Amino acid sequence: MADATIQAATDADIPATDEGQDELLEAELLVEDVSIDGMCGVY
Amino acid sequence: MTETTSVLDRPLELAAQVSVRPERFGALLYHFGTRRLSFLKDPRLLAVVQRLPEVPTARAACTACGVEPGSLRSFDAALRRLLDTGMLQERPA
Repeated sequence: MADATIQAATDADIPATDEGQDELLEAELLVEDVSIDGMCGVY
Repeated sequence: MTETTSVLDRPLELAAQVSVRPERFGALLYHFGTRRLSFLKDPRLLAVVQRLPEVPTARAACTACGVEPGSLRSFDAALRRLLDTGMLQERPA
């Protein structure tokens, strides 16, 4: 019973995947962006 | 998304302020204006980017570089990302 309640809450917390998120994931497979601003002194 | 909104149907080119460094994993792009780096994680994407100035649309560049129809959606998303971050720009018609 407790397990069922926890499972239901977990499912509700997962946002539905929409087309925009799919595109974001697909782009990230091929491209990854990094900004080097604020990295002075790192090297 | 309709076909006409796809960046694949637009004439694109590398932005003037972007430098390309080919790597084993694909390539590294650096934009001197925004100081952003983009990692192209597939050598085919580098080939597409390099082919863009020679063809009328990004779709033609993908075709010329052997991108399979099943991979076009991923390349569309990747090129859109590069356009949004200023690494690519639209060519005047």
